[in-house]
Amino acid sequence: MILPIINNTNNKINFSADKGKEENKKALDYDHDTLLKNNFATRTRIGIDKLTNAATLYPAKGLKGSKNANFYEFLTMGTVPYLIGSGMLMGVFNAANKYFAPFAKTKASALGKKMALGVLFYGLAKNISKSFISKPIKMMTGIDTERPYAKVIYELPEDVNDTDITSIEYHKVFESVEFPRWDLLYGDEAKGEKRNYRYDKIAKRLGMGKDLKDSDQEVKSRIKEIIIKSSLAKNISSYLWAATGVALAFQQPWENFFNVMTFKFWKGKEFTNSIKSFGRNFVKSAKTLFKGEGTGINKHAGKILLGAAVLSSVLGVINAMSSSQKPSKVDAADVIKKDDRYVVN
Amino acid sequence: MTTNLIKNYIASKPLSGYKSQQQNNQTTIVNSPKKPMPNFDIQHELDNRTFIKPLKGKGRLVSGNIFNAPALMVKDGIYDAKALKHAIKGEANDHELGKINDIGLKLGGLAIAGYLFTRKQTPMTKGMEFVGLGSFLASMAIWPKIAIQLPAYLIHGVNVQKEYEDSFGRKKPFYQDPQFIPWDLYSDEEIQKIGNRLGVDKNIPNRRDAIQEKMKKIAIQNNTLWMLSAGFATPVMSALICNQAEPYLAKYLDNLQNKKADKILNNIDKYAKKYQDNAVSKDFEKIIALYKDKPIDKKLEKLILETFTNGIDLVTADSIEKDLKGIMHNQTFLINDDTVKSITKNINKKFENKNFNNETLKQILPDYDSLYKIFKDNNYLNTNIKKSDFKNITDKIILAVQKNVNNYNNNVPENQKLDLTYIKKLIISNKEKDHPIKTALKKFTGSMLNTTTIEKLRKAATIIDNFNAKKSVLDKYALIKVGSAPETVAANYWNNTSKSLLKMFGINQKELEKCGFDRNIMGNLVRDKIEKIVSNDSSYNTLMDSLAGKIAELDTLIKPSDISVPILKNTDNLNEAQKLALKSNYENQVDTIFNEFADSINELGFHKTSRSIVGINGNDNVGTLKNIQKSYVSDRLLGIKSSFLRLYNTLFYYRQISKRANELEPLNRYSREGKEELIEFGKQFTINGHSSDFANKFYMARNPHPSADNSPLEIKDGKVINKYYGKTQELIDIPNEKFFYQDIMRMLYETPLDKETEAIADKHLIKEELINYRNLILDKIGGEKNFAKPRHRIRPENKTGSELKFLLTGIATDELFYKAGQQAYNTNKWLKMFGTIGAVTLGITVLAQFFFGKTKSPEKKGN
Repeated sequence: MILPIINNTNNKINFSADKGKEENKKALDYDHDTLLKNNFATRTRIGIDKLTNAATLYPAKGLKGSKNANFYEFLTMGTVPYLIGSGMLMGVFNAANKYFAPFAKTKASALGKKMALGVLFYGLAKNISKSFISKPIKMMTGIDTERPYAKVIYELPEDVNDTDITSIEYHKVFESVEFPRWDLLYGDEAKGEKRNYRYDKIAKRLGMGKDLKDSDQEVKSRIKEIIIKSSLAKNISSYLWAATGVALAFQQPWENFFNVMTFKFWKGKEFTNSIKSFGRNFVKSAKTLFKGEGTGINKHAGKILLGAAVLSSVLGVINAMSSSQKPSKVDAADVIKKDDRYVVN
Repeated sequence: MTTNLIKNYIASKPLSGYKSQQQNNQTTIVNSPKKPMPNFDIQHELDNRTFIKPLKGKGRLVSGNIFNAPALMVKDGIYDAKALKHAIKGEANDHELGKINDIGLKLGGLAIAGYLFTRKQTPMTKGMEFVGLGSFLASMAIWPKIAIQLPAYLIHGVNVQKEYEDSFGRKKPFYQDPQFIPWDLYSDEEIQKIGNRLGVDKNIPNRRDAIQEKMKKIAIQNNTLWMLSAGFATPVMSALICNQAEPYLAKYLDNLQNKKADKILNNIDKYAKKYQDNAVSKDFEKIIALYKDKPIDKKLEKLILETFTNGIDLVTADSIEKDLKGIMHNQTFLINDDTVKSITKNINKKFENKNFNNETLKQILPDYDSLYKIFKDNNYLNTNIKKSDFKNITDKIILAVQKNVNNYNNNVPENQKLDLTYIKKLIISNKEKDHPIKTALKKFTGSMLNTTTIEKLRKAATIIDNFNAKKSVLDKYALIKVGSAPETVAANYWNNTSKSLLKMFGINQKELEKCGFDRNIMGNLVRDKIEKIVSNDSSYNTLMDSLAGKIAELDTLIKPSDISVPILKNTDNLNEAQKLALKSNYENQVDTIFNEFADSINELGFHKTSRSIVGINGNDNVGTLKNIQKSYVSDRLLGIKSSFLRLYNTLFYYRQISKRANELEPLNRYSREGKEELIEFGKQFTINGHSSDFANKFYMARNPHPSADNSPLEIKDGKVINKYYGKTQELIDIPNEKFFYQDIMRMLYETPLDKETEAIADKHLIKEELINYRNLILDKIGGEKNFAKPRHRIRPENKTGSELKFLLTGIATDELFYKAGQQAYNTNKWLKMFGTIGAVTLGITVLAQFFFGKTKSPEKKGN
């Protein structure tokens, strides 16, 4: 079967079963795939939305074996084991300690708390460090590798009474390097935007010149390359940063913090002290991590780890920025390799 | 610009088709005009077998099993490497980028394990970092296999974790995206078979679709379950794997380092090369380069002393320093220009603030020039003088002063004349260290760092370097075998044995929970356990057999031929040659290395050093470095052996009380009440007794007027049913009753071994040591002179240091169990907590799958 190709960028068909009703209209945040701003508010909103869905709606759908369950939901649910696993990991090292004899308890809980802190730092470092790649790249090229968009999905009704068949997914424009959502980046001429204005900016930043006829065609291959390279850099460097986070959590000074640590934010003074102590010991720990103890590799392990993390970020950005590839201008006819078989007769 | 590829293709299609065209001329397409073929009729084309359809897909299902697993792993590895390469170049696709994430995860894991590895001290803890990483990654991979894939397959016959390879060789989970499942990869036959297993009606239309729908449903449900359960399962499973893997790793590492130690002892020279840093020689050469042919002043002396004694213990270092001073200094002093200047200055200083005006002083004290003349005239200048010359020089200077004073006195009125005696006194009546002339003369030593001294010290440096290297090897060996550090062979043995004791004595987690945190309560528990065990023949024999086996195990780990505890050996009837033959390998090595060193250093004039190393004439005196090197290892071993031999003896004593309490010879003289007291003391003492109890306590609240009742003791289940003990009031310690101590010691350590106990000890080859151990206690502790109750000794006086008494006493049984118990309790508690969580998670995960895959049957759909 050959499907007709429809450019549905501006297609505002709403498949909701009952479009006419006012309340249904309101429930829909988006009626077509919509590019979103990459700012803190949006990111938080998306994060909360994804997390709630991952913990409630998607598992419910999945456990029922819904025919509408899809890959996005499966991937989004991937956060669940991450979070539960982190909690469990903290638990493994701490939960039993209170039953131990006093001496063993002190020893075990110092280690256990470091482990717990390590889990926390792992997650934080892993996520924050991605911006060490994406921010410089955005500044230098204007390409926002993390730009989100809302995708409207039209599902199959679960039964005859099911009228709510739309669902919103949050994706990133460059989530797939093979199929980036180029279409979302075009300007809306109806709103007076230039069709290629986003591509024009990028082309200018990339030094490909101003007032290009088809800036989109010119920059797409470059963008693709940058996306691939930055994605590589993010994947490698974020884990090295995460490892550095764990190493940081294993430094001696934290034990001072654990002594005064409290989560009781309603006890103003104690809580302030606890936070101050966290800051102090964070600095101290960072210093001990860098300085190291002992001799040889033992002394320098911290430096090496930190160095590797920094280096991976820097090299990642450099690699992403350097391109041997000039914009492809080959004729599409040449794309077909004459020696290969493409069809069967 | 976009190009319609299909149009292009049609437009450029040669008449003869691609196959023939390829053979003829490949550039045909490029050269052909890019305009549509005239009279193109799609229907015509379709009719004429030129229907365009895609190439047949090359995708296939991946069937993994243990046999092709390694091949698949290699293939995946190659794919990952390629993915990395493509990504660096910026050419990777989505699938490849996904793989990079896995690489990053593993890399990060290795980084963490690697960093923590450097932070841990022992091989075991270092090793566990990587076991931890491995187990975590393994758990992530294994959990879906055993808790999702396997049960789902067993219950439904569907492999929900099936993988396939697409046409581009990208391996993906088959059910990854429920909206896109490449069903065509399953043959009809396979699907129908699965359908049969799923119980799908055989006679429905579109059966394949119905089966697929069911399979898809099961897969979606299982994938969800996987995501929900993995968070609970992975960390717990990983921790449990680590927990289980730890003993194996420990055993492996223990074996490894034990073998390494054995190798070291047999190849000391080879290993010495590793430790041969020639530190002394190197530093000394630096000194030579700077100070050759320079006088050995205080600074240089200090430098040389520090170089030669660096890293050597203080006692030996002291001897080396004394010897070095003797060698370096020839007791002469150098006189030069500076000496003269110094004397001038010193003498003038003595007359400051002494009511002499400057004019007068100028006249009476010899100035630089006149002093210089004195030295020159007497040929002292620029020569080395001995201490005996000091007086001569002083006299000459005093003479000059005297002359000056006399001259002065002759030219002034009577009332201004100077007192010569006073002036002389000012100069010469000083103590040697304040003497203005002698201090100046001594200022420059005449000893030089000359060739003779250099050569001598060079040789000494080499000898010390060689000795240090060899000694380091011996130290390393001693450390690995018996060092007081975690994970040494001895420490591992201790931990294993004390852990297995809990099992041997049948102490369970519930009891540990009650008693584990209190030494005394633990002692009572152990006592109860022992009493019960010894009251039964077979349980007594089993326990003694396994305990003796454990005691003997130490001799297999640390062979007596390598390190021995001479004090536990029978050497009374041996001649010197036999004793020599009994010397352990380690002792021999120590003797050889230390004697060699002492001899060669002695030849160079280091007599004091030689003596502090091996004693006078190489005899093995107590306190020599050689003796310390030897006794460190045997003492450590004795401490361990004593602790377990003590337990063996304790069990034997309890057995005696259980079986023949009324026949024990040391108790004969006592009435029933006295017997009860002694036995009770013995029981408490063997379980709780510390080394300090021997030295200053042996107190017991007893009845000073015991009942005369001589009826036999009543014993039940290993316990004495006391008729008097514990029931009498007004008890008191009886300080002058010497028999009390003597009889208890004899009851505990002199009662001859019974047949079974002896046979078991004999079987495990520990009889000799056991008997010697019992005798040693009687001799050393029973012959204790400084005992709080001096005349209570049972053996002839025996001067014994507190160290030996400490070693013989070993660890108190209650403490041994208390410590082992705490560890076991902690481990068990943790294991129980997370084992339960793991089991519950697994249970729920598996159970849930029985409710999966329920679909409405197609017939009902329409209804």
